[in-house]
This record gives sequence, structure tokens and C-alpha cells, in this order.
Amino acid sequence: MTRPTPDISPAALNDVRQEGNSPELDLVRKALFQHVGKPIPRKEDRRLTTGKGRFSDDFSLPGQTYAAMVRSPYPHARILGIDTADALAMPGVLTILTGQDVRDDGLLPVPHNPVPSTNFDMKLTAPDGGIPFIGPHYLLPTDKARHVGEAVAIVVAETSAQAVDAAEQVMVDYEELPHITGTAAAAEPGAASVWDEVPDNVFIDTKFGDWAATDAVFASARHVVRADFHIDRVTAMTLEPRAALGSFDEETGRYTLYAGSGGAVRQKGELSKVLGVEADRVRVLSFDVGGNFGARNRVYVEFGLVLWASRRIGRPVKFTATRSEAFLTDYQGRDLVTKVELALDENGKFLALRADNLSNVGARCVSLSPLSKGSGLITGSYDIPIAALRARAVFTNTMCTQAYRSSGRPEVTYAIERLVELAALELGFDPLELRRKNLIPESAMPYTNAVGSIYDSGQYEKNMDWVLRIADWDGFDARKAQSASRGKLRGRGFANYVESSIGSPRERAEIEIKLDGTVEVVIGTQPSGQGHETSFAQVVADMIQVPVAKVWIVLGDTDIVSVGGGSHSGRSMRHAGTVMAMAAADLLTEGRKRAADLFDTEMSGIEFESGYFKVTGTNKAIDIFALGEQTRGTHGPLRVARNNEMHTPVYPNGAAICEVEVDPETGLVTIVGYSTIDDVGRCINPLIVHGQTHGGIAQGVGQAMWELCAIEPETGQPLAGSLMDYGMPRSDNMPFFNCEIAEVISPTNPLGIKAGGEGGTTPALVTVTNAVIDAVKDFGVTNLAMPLTPFTVWKAIHQSNRHPA
Amino acid sequence: MSSITISVNGTPYTRDVEDRTLLVHFIRDHLALTGTHVGCDTTQCGACTVVVDGKAVKSCTVLAVSADGSDVTTVEGLADGDNLHDVQTAFHEHHGLQCGFCTSGMIMAAVNMIKRHDGMLDEATVRHELEGNLCRCTGYHNIIKSVLAAAEKHRQRNHAAA
Repeated sequence: MTRPTPDISPAALNDVRQEGNSPELDLVRKALFQHVGKPIPRKEDRRLTTGKGRFSDDFSLPGQTYAAMVRSPYPHARILGIDTADALAMPGVLTILTGQDVRDDGLLPVPHNPVPSTNFDMKLTAPDGGIPFIGPHYLLPTDKARHVGEAVAIVVAETSAQAVDAAEQVMVDYEELPHITGTAAAAEPGAASVWDEVPDNVFIDTKFGDWAATDAVFASARHVVRADFHIDRVTAMTLEPRAALGSFDEETGRYTLYAGSGGAVRQKGELSKVLGVEADRVRVLSFDVGGNFGARNRVYVEFGLVLWASRRIGRPVKFTATRSEAFLTDYQGRDLVTKVELALDENGKFLALRADNLSNVGARCVSLSPLSKGSGLITGSYDIPIAALRARAVFTNTMCTQAYRSSGRPEVTYAIERLVELAALELGFDPLELRRKNLIPESAMPYTNAVGSIYDSGQYEKNMDWVLRIADWDGFDARKAQSASRGKLRGRGFANYVESSIGSPRERAEIEIKLDGTVEVVIGTQPSGQGHETSFAQVVADMIQVPVAKVWIVLGDTDIVSVGGGSHSGRSMRHAGTVMAMAAADLLTEGRKRAADLFDTEMSGIEFESGYFKVTGTNKAIDIFALGEQTRGTHGPLRVARNNEMHTPVYPNGAAICEVEVDPETGLVTIVGYSTIDDVGRCINPLIVHGQTHGGIAQGVGQAMWELCAIEPETGQPLAGSLMDYGMPRSDNMPFFNCEIAEVISPTNPLGIKAGGEGGTTPALVTVTNAVIDAVKDFGVTNLAMPLTPFTVWKAIHQSNRHPA
Repeated sequence: MSSITISVNGTPYTRDVEDRTLLVHFIRDHLALTGTHVGCDTTQCGACTVVVDGKAVKSCTVLAVSADGSDVTTVEGLADGDNLHDVQTAFHEHHGLQCGFCTSGMIMAAVNMIKRHDGMLDEATVRHELEGNLCRCTGYHNIIKSVLAAAEKHRQRNHAAA
């Protein structure tokens, strides 16, 4: 594994537009890279490899009871009545609550706040330009069930099995209503209405870019290439099914929730509003989280239900989803229909892009992140001077969608990179040369794209050259011939990508020098496998010049962590790193002040070196732990807290190549090679970043190859209800990956970080698709819809009337 | 209800259980050993893998009553005090885990695989035999590396004389 030297030139570090260019922060920057950049194995691993992790369902409380949900079997049905008498009489049943009870107790809808709202997010509006109707999300509905699997009642019993048995005896009187599940179909005239408030289902309709100028370019352009794509729906399939243990304490009037999520602070804030209590009446604990990928960022109704039920019965209530419940009701991902058009001149220079994007949010709008994120990136890695976009969102009778790993970006990357391939094919250009001709040059950075996104930094063509080299692009013909000798068709696919990392803007860090010789850092992000306890410790250890083993990261308990944006959109290392840098600078200032007092000198006479505060020009020195201990009596604990708000986005970027073999007899696709270059900005821990890339690739490949939350349009029934009918990346269908990290420092934050969690996924869908199409192109195949199952590929081969020699 | 005795990590436990109790729930709920996880309920994901009488099995698909009298090893029973099992160490050194939820099952399956093959494993065999253990975080890359490294260590330890 080779790793380029980080660019820590004064120019790169001085070009920091952030606040806080203090002498301390300067010192912090100079001190960096003792631990940062090293592949240090994780501090988390000990407990997780010995079975001592603390996942949600691992928690139990004395006297706890168990909840099961009664779920709608219909995609759209009016609830005429719910008869609970038989179920209540069953053994062990303690209570059954319905939507009417939710209303009677005055519980409020989950305040999802779905419209991304940082200064740099694309501003989505209702068709009339106003604030969109999002569909109130009560813990249980009173009027209608709007998707298969929607919880309409909760049953609480002494044991889990008793709760499940009783849930089956709850009699719900449904009146079936016409339903609509398809994305494009929901926006057609005459489609069934999910909400009376939005009869045509289209609740977002916003135009971006310069329409008049774009239309004018298209009218006069030499070439126009068009395509329609549906980047279909998938689910996060976190290995840990979601679980929640709720407890209400009558004496203190406080609710406590043990539930893994993408950020306990958000859960606490929104659940307190649902319950109608002050935020300090709710404590949320989220420790080890068995995968998130976006699905756990928003509040689930079951989290509110166990808290409320606990208050009602006076005992703790636990709910653990089965895998089938997870397939039905975990927040799902993607589901974008996009129509894209590219105008080119006679030399292949891109002139303009026009796009019409339609996002399926499901039965309620939980998040518009996917539509918004994609909207800012429709022009991809290319210098396209003019663009126009219509962005719409529709309600359907399906589970709600949410940001899912690399929210919105794989969709638009798929569209632009497929369109470039089609343009090359139709107009006779070499696909790689067409890309090179139009790539944004490094000299244009920072680059403002045609819809207003400002790409911070990057070396796009260098990424391209680098990945072509490590994938041995030029040696492909020999490998193809070798495959052919075994009766296999070999194909290769390429894609560039650029994505955005924005995320919740506020973060807070608290750092304390503890008496036991450790450093405690309290931070409001929430890892679910990203190794924050290690990489954050590396950052703080470097900053205050102590061994990384002494630094302990505290997160996940809202009684300790008061502010924090959680982990999404690749925000954690950048936001946490920045605020930790600022807090560390504050800590060193405080340390110098205390050392000056201790040595009876001026603060200006104290320098900090190798973990010691020294009186300049003398041998008087004290290390940071001793200083904390010796000044505790006079100055209190050596502790700082720092808040930071940072809106400026960063734009990770890179390039990927996939190589596949296709068996023409069966249509089976085997991935035989996968190479990537990912510019993550400053890389804190390459071991962890590579791990993120590998997993990200697998998730993207999964969607390209197998994964699909299929719904039968006639019945509205989801067809993927278990791992028996949802294809997943497995150890025997994945290759070893060939990944390198590019570190082009971002000028937007003190550490120069971009993000490393999503770049593996962003280009993977289209890279795999391009490779499979390349493998079967001699049959005249120019397009294939995901997932690229053997049946899809076999059909394309056999429906072709061309038979290669 | 039935009274059963199962030896877990060397300690015999006698409990009254409902006949429909699964082995994984016996381990998690009756013995409070929460290192063994439930990921799917349908024998697909392998997060619940434990070793029963020398065989790696998915404990979500075994009734506790049918394991009466068995010897069970869970992930909690692998380390020798502070000394981790080679497979645990390999997963740490090679970053073979991220969220850690699949890890217990992966490790138990790997321990059993290495033992069955006496460490004679190659990439293709490991990939084939781990096919029933799902991971969503790692893309399997570092898991396969971890298992191969642990197998190599097993060979060094046990075949050194040969």
C-alpha cells in the first residue's frame, strides 16, 4: 500500500478560510502527523471481537416487557376499526395501543424536517414555491395505512413470543383503497392519491439553473444525446436489525431510550417533541451500532412507541425488529427516475445539460437529501457551462426513503456517466478521450458548476490516469482473449465521480485531561463501524502531543453529549476534526496560562513541545497531565469545550474501473477486478479509509448486481421480504479490491479533510453497468437496467439479433 | 416447558425453557451472553454462528431443547484470559471488522473452518465457506485477509515440526 505524502505546504495550510488562525491552531497544525496518516488498528476491536459490544438488543432492564407491531398487509387502506378484545385476553398481554390512543394522549408527529437547509444545500420547494406538505408521521395512523408494513397498533406482553402471538389476533377492519407504488406512474395524471392534501402526489417541483440559456444551446447544438434511467430502490440491510428499549421513570419523569441510530442527539430532540416534553426529559443511549448507511439517521416510530408504552404500563418495553420487518419498514434508499440530455459540439465538447429528476419518497417525506444532493451534482466531473434541472418528488404507497450511503450521488453519477458512454457510442468518440476533453482541470479549482456547487479542490485527470494504470487498462485485450478461450465474455467499465459532503453544520467537542493520566474527548458524532474511537483519538493525540493510547472518545449518551450532528453525509471526520482542532487549541492556551501561573512567568514565555509546557530558555517544564493535576486545586479541571458551525461543503472525487466476465450460456456475471482512486482530502487513518472504500464498493456493486426492493405494481406488495429474496454481496461473489487514496487537501477546513465513507459507492453502480454492457456489446446491447442478474443479462443476449462471430 | 442442560464455554447450565426457544435465545436471553447476535431469523446471515459439538452451526435455527446435552462454544469462550484467539487477533490486525455485528459469527465460522482444514486454506475456499456469513461493512476484503492470516498462523504453529 503506497501512500502519497500529504500536502502540508504552508500554502495549503494557510489557505484556510475558517476562523481560528490563532498561534495555538498554528502549533496544532505543525504538530500534526505523529499519528495522523498511520494505519493504526482500532481501539474498538477488543470488545467487538470478544462479544462484549453493546448493541441495542443487548440491553435489558429489570421487569422489561416486549412489544410486537400489528402491520398493514395492504399498500393503501382506510382503517375502519380495530378490535383488540380477543388479543387482550391472550396470555401475558399487558396492553394494546392504536392510532386513536396516540391522538388521545396528544402525541405529535415526528418532526422530520426533510428539506436540507445548510447554506449550500439546493433549496427544494413545493410546486407553488412554498413550504412543502410532507405528510404527518404519527407513531400510529388513525385514518389510513399508506404502505405495506405500516404499524397500525402495538401489542405489549410479558414475553416476545406472547406479543407476536397476540398481534396476530388483533382484528383490523380495513377498506382497501386504490394504490400507487411506481415512481413515474405516481406523477402521471389519474394516479391514486396517497394524501388528499396533494391529489397529484407531486409535492416538490423546483427548477434550477438557467433554463432559457440551456434551451437555447440545445436548440442550436450539433449533437444532442438523451437517455432515461430509473435508479431503483434498495435497502440498507444493516446486519443489526433495529431495536429499541424504552423506559419511563415515574419518579424523575424522564424517558430513557436504548436505541442505536445515526446520532443520539437528533433522536432525543425529535422524540421529546413527539412526546410533548422538554428535551431534558429524554435520554437516548446509542453505543455500538450494527451498520447505519443512512437508514438509522431518522426517528423510527417504534422508538417513540416503546417510550410511550413504557409510561402507559409502568415497565420498560423492548422492541426488536425481525429481518422481515426490517425489509418492510427500514427507511429505504435511492428510487430516482431521471431523464437527461447532453448537448455537444462537433468536437465532442459538452455544451449544456438538461435533466428532469423525480424522487420517490414513499408514503411520507422523511428526507429530501437524495434529491437535493443529486441536484447539485448533475454535471458530474465535467466542465459543462450551462445546465438546467427540474427536481420533483412524489408520494407513493411504499415505505419512506431516506439518505442511503452516498445519498443522491450514485444516481446522478449513473446518469452522467452512462450518458457520456452513450454519447461516445452514438457520435463515434473514444469514451475515455471524450471524458478527458471535458474534465474539469485542476487549474479551474475552486470550480463553480452550472447549478452553483463549488468544487473545492481535486486533480480529476490525475485520478483517471492513476486508476487506468493500477487496473492495467492497456493489458485488457490479453485478458479478454484469455477469457474467450474459456468461453467467457470479458468487459471493462470506467467512471469518474465527484460527490459532495455537507451534513449537519453544528458540532461540539469537549476535551478533559483526566487525573488518571488519560484524555477524554466528548463528541456528538455517532459511528456505526467507522472507527471514530481510533481516528478521532489519533487527531487529538497529535494535537496535544500525547500517545494515542491515552485518548478516549466518549459518545452516544445524550446526558454527556449535549450537541452533535451525528454521522451522515461523510461529515464526521471533517466536522469533528475541525472542532477538535479548535478545542485542542483552546486547551493549549489554557495550559500555557496555567503553566505561566505555575512557573510565575508570562504566558508569552511558555512554549509547548512534545507534550511539555516549557519556560523558554530554561529547563523548567511540566507535562500536560501533571499540569492538569497540579493546577486542579487552583484552576479546576483542565478542560475545554468548543462549539463550531461549518457550512462549507467539500467534494470528494475519484475514478473507478470494474472488470467482469459474463457466461453467455447463463448470463452470470462475475466481477474479476475492481480498482479505485479516491481523493478523500487528508487521510487520518488509511486502514480505516480503505475499509470504508471496500464496503462502499460492495454496497454499490450490490445495487448494480443483485439488490432490489421489488414491488409488484398490481398488488402493491413488496417481493423482497427476507434474505432469501434480496440478493446481497457475499464473500464468494466479491473480489479483492485494488484501491489507492489520493490526498488533495481541501482548503475549506483546518485539517484539509474531505470525506472517505461514500466514494466507494458513488461510481460503483455505473462502473459495473458499463463493464457488463461492454462485455455483451457485440450482441448489440447498449443499455441494461440494474440489477444485472443472470436473467437480465441472458435476456439481453438472447433477445439480440446480432451474434458475434 | 422442558428442563435442559447445555454446556456453554465449559460451564454447564440447566434451565427451564419453552419448547419453541431457539438456541440463540437460550444463549442471549437465558445466559445473558450477548456476543452471539441475531441478524435475520432465517439462517441466511450467520451472525448467530456458534460451535456445537465441534461443528459451526447457526444457532437461530436450532431449538434449545435439541441442543440438550451439547457442548457449545460462543465468541465469549475463545480468548484465554487476556490472550485473544489467533482469529480474533487477525481480525483486529487486518481491520476485518467495522460495525462488529457480524464479527462474532464470522470469527466462530473462521475458527471452525481453520480447524476443519487444519489451516490448509486458500482464498477460494475461504470465500466459498464464508458465503453463509453476511457482512455489510467490509466488502469481505479484510475479512478474507484476516482468515487467511489466521490460517497461516495455525499452519506455523501446528506444522512447524513437519
